[in-house]
Amino acid sequence: MEYKAPKEAYKGVVREVTIGKGDKALKIGGENILPLHFFDEGSLPNPPRFALEVLDMEPADKVPHLLEPFGDAISDPIKWAKKCETFGVDAVCLTLVSTDPAEKDAPADGAAQLVKRMASEIKKPLIVYGSGDEKKDAEVLPKVAQVCAGENLLIGPVQKENYEVVGKAILDNGHVAIAQSPLDINLLKELNVKLCKFLPPERVVIDPLSSALGYGIEYSFSLIERVKQIGVITKDSMTMMPIIANLGDECWKTKQAK
Amino acid sequence: MIIIGENIHVIAKDVSAAIRERNASVIQGLAREQTQSGAHYIDLNVGPMKKDTEETMKWLVNCVQDVSDLPLSIDTMNPVAMEAGLKYCKKRPLLNSASGKSDSKSQMLPLAKKYNCDVVISVMTDKGMPPEVESKIESILETVAYANELGIPNEDIWVDPIILPVSTAGEGQNIAVGNLEFIKILQDVLPGVKSTVGLSNISNGVPAHLRPILNRTYLVMLARNGLYSAIADPLDEELMALMRGELPQITDLIYRTMDGEEIDLSSLSQKEVAYVKTARVLLAQTLYSDAWLEI
Repeated sequence: MEYKAPKEAYKGVVREVTIGKGDKALKIGGENILPLHFFDEGSLPNPPRFALEVLDMEPADKVPHLLEPFGDAISDPIKWAKKCETFGVDAVCLTLVSTDPAEKDAPADGAAQLVKRMASEIKKPLIVYGSGDEKKDAEVLPKVAQVCAGENLLIGPVQKENYEVVGKAILDNGHVAIAQSPLDINLLKELNVKLCKFLPPERVVIDPLSSALGYGIEYSFSLIERVKQIGVITKDSMTMMPIIANLGDECWKTKQAK
Repeated sequence: MIIIGENIHVIAKDVSAAIRERNASVIQGLAREQTQSGAHYIDLNVGPMKKDTEETMKWLVNCVQDVSDLPLSIDTMNPVAMEAGLKYCKKRPLLNSASGKSDSKSQMLPLAKKYNCDVVISVMTDKGMPPEVESKIESILETVAYANELGIPNEDIWVDPIILPVSTAGEGQNIAVGNLEFIKILQDVLPGVKSTVGLSNISNGVPAHLRPILNRTYLVMLARNGLYSAIADPLDEELMALMRGELPQITDLIYRTMDGEEIDLSSLSQKEVAYVKTARVLLAQTLYSDAWLEI
């Protein structure tokens, strides 16, 4: 008897999300198969994309072998971003660390101007992360969204404490949101439900929080797997979004990396 | 459906204060309300009750019996408090609860025999909570066999599969589905046993205003699968109405959702839509989130 390999077809399609505009436009998501299930029915039109991170201030405690490839560029965020581009990245990810009240508590205006300059000077699409302080981000991220209106940046983290104000600014100014929830699939769905009441789901990317090896990578891994399964297999509209993993900081802040 | 009224519960601050201060009016108020609402038993959940055990239990049991003719469910993990409670019950009480744990087998189950009462036996064992339907069945078979040897017949045993919150990330929904299955097959596995659940636990951790619809929907589903009784809130009028069969259109919608029918929500009232969505969540047809009614 001839062996016939089983072939699955799935109901759900991860929404295709575009970030950046014009020549810079980059598509992510769009698959209707599980990751690496190329033997099943369906396709992965946009393979995983890769960004390098840039901070808006010189890193204080980063390890030498991490900084070395960037040389002097590390002292200027724009140069740093351009250096990243020479390494063949698909996008650049700027984190506005300086705005963190626990760091310099830098004002929103300056941060927004830097984002604007960087977006215009680099050739790749720009991802912008706030400091993660949900109160400060509620000031900084809307400002970034306004100043960079129309740039179609990928902006986050949008959290349950600030999704209304940050989400609204993202909607009004033509950007894409990174919806972030603390490693919990039920909370992740809840945030997406609330956000998508006013923001089209094609403008949402999921950040389920990522952890480093030895610091909970299994949780992140299982959760990402589950989000994909529920989206692609059961066609749950509120998990059918592309996923972003913001790995760099999680990994480099571990004591083993230093 | 036998409803065991859950409202006299030490976790409620006013109840624990009333017991401590021997304030009969608070306790009797709750007992009266539950009796008038159509409860069949009144649960006295007294916690571990380490202090003045005998005297407190005597006071509490008599306090409730003074205003209600309903039988009592004595709800404690402390065998001393349990015996003190059972002793003063005028009507045949319910021992709530025993389990497959060693100390429960040696201390609680003999009390059920001694006082010739009904007894709740949960699927818990020394190893904890069995994770799957099969292991729950295995565990309950063993504990019921042990109880039978002590001379407790199946008819006096109320099996409790242990309800966990549906909102527990990852496993909550699967466990909810498993417990529906457990209740469905229980009679085939242990003919003659009764069953019960701590219903409100299904909605533990969920925003307060959203809890009743989860409790109600899940009870309709469990009832369809043959559940005999539930420890629940008899003051929830809609829950009681559902159990009396007074809301047949809601019950029918929940049944059809259980049968996998694709129900057209556009033709339904807001309340009916909420029941269908809740049933879908409890059947794990859609991923749980606190915003399940808003989608």
